[in-house]
Amino acid sequence: MYIYNEVDQKIVDERVAQFRDQTRRYLAGELSDDEFLAVRLMNGLYIQRHAPMLRVAIPYGLISSRQLRKLAHIARTYDKGYGHFTTRTNIQFNWPKLEDVPDILAELAEVQMHAIQTSGNCIRNTTTDQFAGVTPDELEDPRPWCEIIRQWSTLHPEFAYLPRKFKIAVTGSPRDRAASQVHDIGLHLVQNDAGEIGFEVLVGGGLGRTPVIGKLIRPFLQKKDLLSYLEAILRVYNLKGRRDNKYKARIKILVEAMGIDAFRDEVEAEWEKIRGSELELTDAEIARVKGFFQPFAYDADAANDTTLQQKLDSDEAFRVWYERNTHEHKVPGYRSVVVSLKPQLAPAGDITDRQMEVVADLAEQYSFGEARSTHEQNLVLADVKNADLYAVWQALDEHNMARPNIGTLTDMIVCPGFDFCALANAKTLNIAEQINRAFDDLDYLYDLGEIRLNMSGCINACGHHHVGGIGILGVDKKGEDWYQITIGGSDREDAALGKVLGKAVAADDVADTLKKILETYVELRTEEERFVDTVRRVGVTPFKENVYATAH
Amino acid sequence: MPLLIDRQPVTDDSWQPLDADATQLPAGQDLIVPLARFDELADALERHDGAVAPMVTGEDDLTPLLDSLERFAMIAVEFPVFRDGRGFSIARILRQAGYTGQLRAVGNVARDQLGYLERCGFDAFAFSDEVYAEHFLNAFDEISVRYQGCADDPRPIYLQN
Ligand code: HEM
Ligand code: SF4
Repeated sequence: MYIYNEVDQKIVDERVAQFRDQTRRYLAGELSDDEFLAVRLMNGLYIQRHAPMLRVAIPYGLISSRQLRKLAHIARTYDKGYGHFTTRTNIQFNWPKLEDVPDILAELAEVQMHAIQTSGNCIRNTTTDQFAGVTPDELEDPRPWCEIIRQWSTLHPEFAYLPRKFKIAVTGSPRDRAASQVHDIGLHLVQNDAGEIGFEVLVGGGLGRTPVIGKLIRPFLQKKDLLSYLEAILRVYNLKGRRDNKYKARIKILVEAMGIDAFRDEVEAEWEKIRGSELELTDAEIARVKGFFQPFAYDADAANDTTLQQKLDSDEAFRVWYERNTHEHKVPGYRSVVVSLKPQLAPAGDITDRQMEVVADLAEQYSFGEARSTHEQNLVLADVKNADLYAVWQALDEHNMARPNIGTLTDMIVCPGFDFCALANAKTLNIAEQINRAFDDLDYLYDLGEIRLNMSGCINACGHHHVGGIGILGVDKKGEDWYQITIGGSDREDAALGKVLGKAVAADDVADTLKKILETYVELRTEEERFVDTVRRVGVTPFKENVYATAH
Repeated sequence: MPLLIDRQPVTDDSWQPLDADATQLPAGQDLIVPLARFDELADALERHDGAVAPMVTGEDDLTPLLDSLERFAMIAVEFPVFRDGRGFSIARILRQAGYTGQLRAVGNVARDQLGYLERCGFDAFAFSDEVYAEHFLNAFDEISVRYQGCADDPRPIYLQN
């Protein structure tokens, strides 16, 4: 993983000092609310329903044991003993005190962490595939490119006051696990006809009020041109993006308004002026950054293990977990373990200080001291030996992080909703709980197969509801919580926006409605057909008819 | 009106903004004139005996200006509200096009933006009397390290010595 040098460290340290002074000036009345708003947002600090909310960056989801322990310490010392992982692979603390935030940032800086650019109208944390570097289907490890983008975008002086926030995702395998097509820029490592590896570039994806799938702006970009191309896109956006209406300020709106061809022309014209400049990446720099992501010293003997098979044969619960919650690794004898933060009774993505420490210990003992966060709000131990899987499972199980539901209906993405978020229209956590109770039968869940269920408490779509196979959106009807359901969305390589099923349903009826949807699916599916594929094949109507048939 | 040039407070400044409703140019005066009015005032500008600096906003088309940069000793860029970041890119485009004169940020410029503005190529900052305070001078050095190239130094971190 990338290790800070003196320069990186100095940046975060100076930033802490700067924010300490800004907070002091604000509390002393020297800084206006408006100005403090902008600077605190650039340091990940929101003011929410109960208290400030601090969002800490986990660059491309990679985190060390030491850093996890620090987060546990912060949760315990400055918060109520837990944190919340977000769909952008960051962690949020819901209860810090404003005057403590400079101290929290100073603690984070000790372990090379910060909250820089985790909110505000700037370039946010770049995200990637949680199995980057270890998945067998990968063309190239995307993480060095994320790190190169991180350095370029961190405190970029030109792009700190964009029309709106800006999110970039990078993938290195044909299977998109980073929801890259609903990012402002999606970068895919691809191979051209000449056998060179470069980037396919998408632009203008996003969710929120106006969900849009990203459009192809360049089928192939040479690696060395990555930063000059990004800079050209950002410059055009910074100059032309709308600033009169924040709901129309994302790049997706600009690209739709100009049309992708006209937008591309502007970008390429700007790019021509700067592509040969110092923005062009040198081979030495690419090699230097790649050096931080070299394969670990894997045990050559790992594949000869026989104990895993014995355990799989003898322990049914372990076998079920193994099948659901572990992922193939490119090195024989290793697996990647998904740590489920989707237990039956706690909010999706929530993690206690104790659980953070357990994951930190497991990472240290069994996975080269690193863990990863996923956009589905889970964690990953990417490099576990077959022989160690049983011990890892036992420890995770003991601490309620081994619910074997990864990829199933209850592996939900859920935003905090009305309980925490000042913008919410409706609660989400109670609905997630209702669904968890209604769909507790694992055999049934497995029979349903892969289904992505995403839920947001308002139209801002932090829970990615548009791209869920099933999406649930909380709406407010005369002071009551209602839920609009969409089906057929996907955040993968076949990205698509879900279609509205019909009129919104009452809070008490959400799980029953899902049951009817899934009943229809089971009836209509062909063998091996995923839920979204059935919806795509037969359309929304049969689902709608079943759901609303008894309603009138 | 407080003015910083090259990080120093400056009191003797000859530039005056042209009154919004003026149709004549005050003789002998060094004037800041909105770029948007250049066409309408073309004849008067031609005859004017003081210096002229265009004032650019995010709404302006920069193309004509880019062709005549060497005519201007100063260009002002207006920030209508401090959150409007178009001026940062405007500065970069002007510097990239080879402009070497004074680049002045005017309007709603916030203290905590000064470091970034300077990096993008501004060397002068005009504030209203109400907002300016002496500690603004400290804002430039708060972050001493830069990862990416910009107008101040085009080299990314890995090429800086
Ligand atoms: C509780 C405090 C939060 C607030 C006030 C908040 C606010 C917002 C707003 C206003 C937007 C819409 C931005 C736009 O369309 O321009 C948004 C989008 C988003 N939020 Fe949040 N959010 C919060 C928490 C979260 C959490 C917990 C997550 C992750 C689970 C999250 C993930 C996202 C994502 C991924 C988007 C992007 C959707 C898009 O591409 O348009 N946010 N948020
Ligand atoms: S989707 Fe709405 S309710 Fe949920 S976190 Fe985002 S802003 Fe808050």
